[in-house]
Amino acid sequence: MKKIISIDIGSTWTKCGLFVLAASGLKLERRLAVPTTQDNLVRGFSQALSGLLGKDVNTPLKELVGAAEIYFSSSAKGGLRIAAIGLVPDLTLQLARLAAMSAGGKVIASFAFSLTRSDLQTLEKLQPDILLFSGGTDGGNSRYILENARKLAGSALSCPVVYAGNRAVAEEVADLMNKKEVIVTENLMPELGQVNLEPVREKIREIFLKRIVNGRGLSEIVELSGSQPRPTPLAVFELISVIPGYQPEWSDLAAIDIGGATTDFYSNTESYLETDTVVLKGLREPKVKRTVEGDLGMRVSARSLLDSGWPYLEERLRELGPGAEELKNYVEKISRDLDYLPRSEEECLFDRLLAETCVYHAALRHAGGWKETYTPQGRVYVQTGKDLRRVRAVIGSGGFLSAADSAGVMRFPLQKLKACGQERKLLPEQAHFYADRQYLFSLLGNLVEKYPSEAAALAVASLEKLNDEE
Amino acid sequence: MEKHAIVLGVIGADCHSVGNKILELFFTAEGFKVVNLGVMVSQQEFINAAIETDARAILVSSLYGHGEIDCQGFRDLCLEKGLDRILLYVGGNLVVGKTPFAIVEEKFKKMGFDRVFPPDVDLKKAAELLKQDIKERFGPDSQSSRDNGQPAGPDKSNPEAEASAPETREPRG
Repeated sequence: MKKIISIDIGSTWTKCGLFVLAASGLKLERRLAVPTTQDNLVRGFSQALSGLLGKDVNTPLKELVGAAEIYFSSSAKGGLRIAAIGLVPDLTLQLARLAAMSAGGKVIASFAFSLTRSDLQTLEKLQPDILLFSGGTDGGNSRYILENARKLAGSALSCPVVYAGNRAVAEEVADLMNKKEVIVTENLMPELGQVNLEPVREKIREIFLKRIVNGRGLSEIVELSGSQPRPTPLAVFELISVIPGYQPEWSDLAAIDIGGATTDFYSNTESYLETDTVVLKGLREPKVKRTVEGDLGMRVSARSLLDSGWPYLEERLRELGPGAEELKNYVEKISRDLDYLPRSEEECLFDRLLAETCVYHAALRHAGGWKETYTPQGRVYVQTGKDLRRVRAVIGSGGFLSAADSAGVMRFPLQKLKACGQERKLLPEQAHFYADRQYLFSLLGNLVEKYPSEAAALAVASLEKLNDEE
Repeated sequence: MEKHAIVLGVIGADCHSVGNKILELFFTAEGFKVVNLGVMVSQQEFINAAIETDARAILVSSLYGHGEIDCQGFRDLCLEKGLDRILLYVGGNLVVGKTPFAIVEEKFKKMGFDRVFPPDVDLKKAAELLKQDIKERFGPDSQSSRDNGQPAGPDKSNPEAEASAPETREPRG
């Protein structure tokens, strides 16, 4: 029997779990959450460990770490801030954005074609954690790439630059930008339409480690625990990636994680099935995909959610009764008091509507669509984006969805979405809905590298199936 | 020497895929790096692909008779998107009915296409023309866009001149 501890250092809460690994598999022994100590993470970390192990709070970290194997992740203040540069918006830029998101980052700005002076100013002002620089197939366009490299070289940008563009000019790009930290990796689109995100994701992860470990006591934790942190969303991404391999009946799945600031949407399903009547336009998206929406969230992003999601919210208010003013006042209240929990029935309903809106828009942006076209050869569907129709399990995670008591909060907005617009949205057709009741996904994600089959087994076993109450 | 990239596809709502596959095989065998976009390709998709791959030419096929509408404004869009010098070829059953080919050819040349081919064209001949045209427009050793990609002064400042260029470069009517 082996004791394993997994810790997820979030921006406000440090969540942790003590697991036991026996012949029968992985079991959750105990879990708890303590406030994150932002100024010095060691304190919160020690507190979490002593709590899990039932030791005195003042036990030094050195003694605590010997008692179990330790893995941990850090949300890094809402994730790595990545700026993406590509050439054509629908091609390399779209892939750069996807690569950044599936590496656990969030895209704070993206630029296509030539960088303008104001683009450079924007970049300098934003000071991203990483600049992901792509464009051109291997042996393809180099003119825009070199021009942008020259401009970036002259900018006041100080972050590391990951170059994942046309291989033919990689060395030249590195030379031009020799005053910056340039990390050259494989092209994310070596041939037109060929998607190669893994090398970029790996480089982003390496940079995350280097950057995040510096300061706030994390290096001490790394040294004592003997393990490296990973970005929290990457941990979940990795868990979603391995589940179908070890749990074949969970072969097509999606997960929605609604937090206070962002909504993450993960899917693991084949993005396009070729048939005579369906033609794919644009890139064939990867089987495992994550998108993250910075304007959709339950608290920090509640105001922007109100803006982005107003038409949906308005329609729901009309159906359910409460007034628009009341909802707006509620959003003002929770934006000021981020830890606020609903106290009345109406406030509970408002939180539910906000969560529905997050699901609606996150799904809208994640899923692809079919447009019906009549051709001389008959009716044809033109597909863009990812096909989620075969997804059989949709998992809700994050504060609100983990606590959901019925499937409606996810099923309902997805149904509404199907009926909207002329394009048919490729959403799950016969899915069951589940809640990550114990909020284990990010904790188990930390264990994937070492214990993939055990983590996958416990992940699906820990889910609670949600029924429709309505 | 690096191969020249060319972009291939069937434009519009046209699903004829057999000829498209044949063209891909043929031009690959002829030594081109073929970027095949398949069927039902829009002008924007052709152009996006040509930008990313630094293609020398776009070869547009149309079999279903609506080619004229589908190809309208193609050259203009190329210019708008900064593809100042790309070669545009078009071929197939370009219009409905029995219009004499000379009229069809003239129509498409006016739209800015460099070469227009009837359905029964000898592919070997088309490939020879393509190699020749690439050499003429991009110079004998034009593997990388650094040699030619920087738009020459007059091209950029006077797109009109470039727009009519294919015709003036074309020796035949």
